[in-house]
Amino acid sequence: MREKELNILKDYKYGFTTDIESVKAPKGLNQEVIRFISNIKKEPQWLLEWRLKAFERLKALKEPDWQKPKYPKIDYQDLYYYSAPKSFKEKPNSLDDLDPKLLDTYKKLGIPLQEQKRLNGIAVDAVFDSVSVATTFKEKLTEKGIIFCSISEAVQKYPELVKKYLGTVIPITDHYFATLNSAVFTDGSFVYIPPNIRCPMELSTYFRINASDTGQFERTLIIADKGSYVSYLEGCTAPMRDENQLHAANVELIALDDAEIKYSTVQNWYPGDKDGKGGIYNFVTKRGLCKGKNSKISWTQVETGSAITWKYPSCILQGDNSIGEFYSIAITNNHQKADTGTKMIHLGKNTKSKIISKGISAGLSDMTYRGLVDISSRANNSRNYTQCDSLLMGNKCGAHTIPYIKNKNLESNIEHEATTSKISEDQLHYCQQRGLNQEEAVGLIVNGFCKEVLQQLPMEFAVEAQKLVGISLEGSVG
Amino acid sequence: MLKINNLNAKIDKKIILNNFSLNINPGEVHAIMGPNGSGKSTLSNILSGKKGYDVTGEILYENKNLFELETEERAHKGIFLAFQYPLEIPGVNTNIFLKTSLNAIRRANGEKELDAIEFLNLVKEKAKNLKFEEEKLNRQLNVGFSGGEKKKNEILQMSILNPKLSILDETDSGLDIDALRIVADGVNSLRKKNNSFLIITHYQRLLDYIKPDFVHVLINGKIIKSGGPELALELEKKGYENFN
Amino acid sequence: MREQLVTDFDKIISDSNFSKKDIELKRISLDKFIEDGFPTKKKEDWKFLDINRAIEKNIGELDFYNDYSFQNKIDTSYFVKGLEHNKIVFINGRIEKIDFKSEDSNKIEIIEESNLSNKFNNINSLINLNNAFANKNYKINVKENYSLKKPLIVYHLTSNKIYKKNINLRLDFKLESNSSLRLIDYFEDDSKDNFINIFYNFDLEKDSSLKNYKIDHKDNKNVKYSFNNIDQKENSISETFILSSGSSFFKNEVNCDLNGKYSSAFVNGIFKLEDFKNHEIKTNINHLTENTKSYQLIKSVLGEGSKAAYQGKISVNSIAQKTDGYQLSKCILLDKTSEFNAKPELEIYADDVKCSHGSASGSLNEDSIFYLMSRGINYEQAKELLINGFLLDVIEKITDSETKNLIKNTLGLKE
Repeated sequence: MREKELNILKDYKYGFTTDIESVKAPKGLNQEVIRFISNIKKEPQWLLEWRLKAFERLKALKEPDWQKPKYPKIDYQDLYYYSAPKSFKEKPNSLDDLDPKLLDTYKKLGIPLQEQKRLNGIAVDAVFDSVSVATTFKEKLTEKGIIFCSISEAVQKYPELVKKYLGTVIPITDHYFATLNSAVFTDGSFVYIPPNIRCPMELSTYFRINASDTGQFERTLIIADKGSYVSYLEGCTAPMRDENQLHAANVELIALDDAEIKYSTVQNWYPGDKDGKGGIYNFVTKRGLCKGKNSKISWTQVETGSAITWKYPSCILQGDNSIGEFYSIAITNNHQKADTGTKMIHLGKNTKSKIISKGISAGLSDMTYRGLVDISSRANNSRNYTQCDSLLMGNKCGAHTIPYIKNKNLESNIEHEATTSKISEDQLHYCQQRGLNQEEAVGLIVNGFCKEVLQQLPMEFAVEAQKLVGISLEGSVG
Repeated sequence: MLKINNLNAKIDKKIILNNFSLNINPGEVHAIMGPNGSGKSTLSNILSGKKGYDVTGEILYENKNLFELETEERAHKGIFLAFQYPLEIPGVNTNIFLKTSLNAIRRANGEKELDAIEFLNLVKEKAKNLKFEEEKLNRQLNVGFSGGEKKKNEILQMSILNPKLSILDETDSGLDIDALRIVADGVNSLRKKNNSFLIITHYQRLLDYIKPDFVHVLINGKIIKSGGPELALELEKKGYENFN
Repeated sequence: MREQLVTDFDKIISDSNFSKKDIELKRISLDKFIEDGFPTKKKEDWKFLDINRAIEKNIGELDFYNDYSFQNKIDTSYFVKGLEHNKIVFINGRIEKIDFKSEDSNKIEIIEESNLSNKFNNINSLINLNNAFANKNYKINVKENYSLKKPLIVYHLTSNKIYKKNINLRLDFKLESNSSLRLIDYFEDDSKDNFINIFYNFDLEKDSSLKNYKIDHKDNKNVKYSFNNIDQKENSISETFILSSGSSFFKNEVNCDLNGKYSSAFVNGIFKLEDFKNHEIKTNINHLTENTKSYQLIKSVLGEGSKAAYQGKISVNSIAQKTDGYQLSKCILLDKTSEFNAKPELEIYADDVKCSHGSASGSLNEDSIFYLMSRGINYEQAKELLINGFLLDVIEKITDSETKNLIKNTLGLKE
């Protein structure tokens, strides 16, 4: 029995839980819970009203059901919408005030929060269940006028910035899950890069779901002011639980004139066990607005976790000459399901977008790339290039490609290519003849398949992602 | 070193090797010559452990049953196959592939793995000997390589992995005369007391550069005649058809 | 619309001599259609072009009753010249002529089928509409080992006698083993504001070959929908070519079930649109067993206000190893008001397959125009040359040389 448990733990090394007492809002979704959240966070009246408006809107919305992976009905009244470690009732002033158990959790995840052990050159904001627990490197960033803090803190300290941009990319009238998030979001990261500043280090948030029956609804807002640059990393893990947990985050990016935002995600939420029990429902809304001219937003994602991944990090290319990019690796194994891709909405002139998607399905899993490229009639001289490749391992899994292509502008070009293939026996034999075992050979070939995307990740993440690609496919061949 | 006794191989009920026997001692160079479809490539596939053949008989390698070893274990124990058609593996950097391969073999033999610098020094040296442009080692494995470059890449890998038994499956086909000489030099420089070679070829010309100890003629899955290097010349003169 | 449907339906039933069982089946289809109505863009398959809106906007209230008791006079000037052929002539939805005089009469069987089957219920609401209102069901059997000497041209003619009518046509073809048929659908309309709904079913037995060429070239203000269902057995080949150009609205749908090993399906098409026309080709190629092949190539040239959509889906069943599936769509937009939409979809459950799709859309290459002009060709000519060159490679895919020439002539492409 114990051995079995150990084996499971080996499979998903982030699958431990942390025994920390937490403060929770009462279960259920109603006005009172929303008031509770707003109140405990000491939010200004406008934000409470904004949340309530979203909640009103939510009542009129239906959960979408066009996606490929179906899931059992979620009882929204049976979830906790707010959960915070008890030691957080009064927010700690420094890392020294943090619950040692929490610090320990992040150590296990490989994210040391203590500054003396800090990751080289990466500022981290850690979100535990619903609240941001610590942000590192604050002083260094403050020197340059960069704001990097939890969104709760930003609401208190920089209300005018939050008010100006919150909900401008994902309005409260958006789809079901996005609107749900607007009503009940708890915490997340806030980034503001002032004009003409190049953020000197990678900014990173690490999300961790710990409490059970808890939905995690963070909200991230990143604003790159004129001529600035920021690279932001997001990592995610969750403990192993038998029940499914919902993660419905909203991420809004805004790039003003000549600004650039690079947003990278390595998503490794608990995918459920080998029989498909448990795991995270990862239904997040990520959208970037290239508001200014010559702005650029680039999404890179490595999606290996979650029971169901359902997300389309998108770019609205409003400013003339703006650029949107989407690089994705999605891997599903066992019973995992993913329906992911992107939307590139070309509104401005001379806008360009590029989509590189690599999907790998193994075991009994199902993978869908779904994407939209829409060039409006005003977007003269715009370009899109899309390449979607799928790799199947075995014939019990599925790989699907569903691109929607709309061109309303005669000066613009759209190019789309897609292929589906498998690792050939001959390639495997060749690698094995050179002394690699089957798993090493598969890992090598798959990493080669994903190379164009892996190259986009910042150094520190690329190594982790490469390993993750190998681990995710362990035992899927042979 | 390698003893093949009464090997029979079938694929989809079609007999390809028929009571094939061969004995290779350490330090020997054997050449197998045969026309198209005589079973030459099947032999190299079976020796390297490719699946899909219906096989009976016995192959002993260093007195162990070869059939009990997986493909990569055979590689760990020093069997190297220079493929007739080296595979392209998109996205995989040639250097990284070579380093992974070398260290997998070293690890299996309890040797210290080479770090990046040690490895690069080794590759540089070997590539120089083979006149293999280093720049190509930073490209994707065999992707966009010409036929000759792919073959040279096989020989480069061979010289780096330093195998005990090297099987060259029609390595000469598709090579021009300069490349042929470079490949032969590569092989000759590896000829040592304990290293053996099995050279599978259609033509005699490679044997002008690599002098074999033994030549075998393979027709319809069977060795019909064995002899010294002179046999290759005889074969070249008469042709396979009149050789009986 | 509901009352109109019910009264028109009752009128048809009282006019005709359908069997009791048929009437029952027709009524089920009618009820289903009444329940669903015309498809709207809320349905995924109708996302790009909304036929419900097209009918509302172009036609308005439809009349579902047609009086088929009077014979229409056939104007032979519509017939294709210089190409000896067999004929089926529809005028305003009524079959006026079936003529296979070029063929061995005992090799072709024409059955006026009264037995409806409900096999095709619920594919979509338009098929239900067709089942409910189609007047006569003809089934054409091509006997074993027989290849028709001449092509069969089905004329879809309409006259100005009909206005705001819905016409439903249905033909069934069975190609017995090792037989072959060349079938050309030829559209000529002198009517406007009608909705024409066509449903063909093909059963392709072992080693048979079907070539279906659809030519909708003459400008007209009708709304059309055509659905081809093709069921293919071992080693059979189907080739479909669609020239989509003349009607105000035309959606061509091809569903192909590759049930037999080594069967293959080819779907090629051209959209040549201007003047605010809306056309779509939607394909569904289902690879259901191993070693099957499909190939699709669609090219579009879109002028003022026109909109074309291509939804091409390749599905590969988990047992359909060694599938080879390919699709490519290319489009040239000629005007700032034209629009091209594509949804090339792959749904794959087997791992040993080779499937790919590509799509490209853009404008005419100005450098090429410039090059041609530098050789003394004027702008309009240069444009035309390039468009013709762009379309030519789809036309070259037509394997029947007589039809290829017919289509080249229709499009005014010179040799």
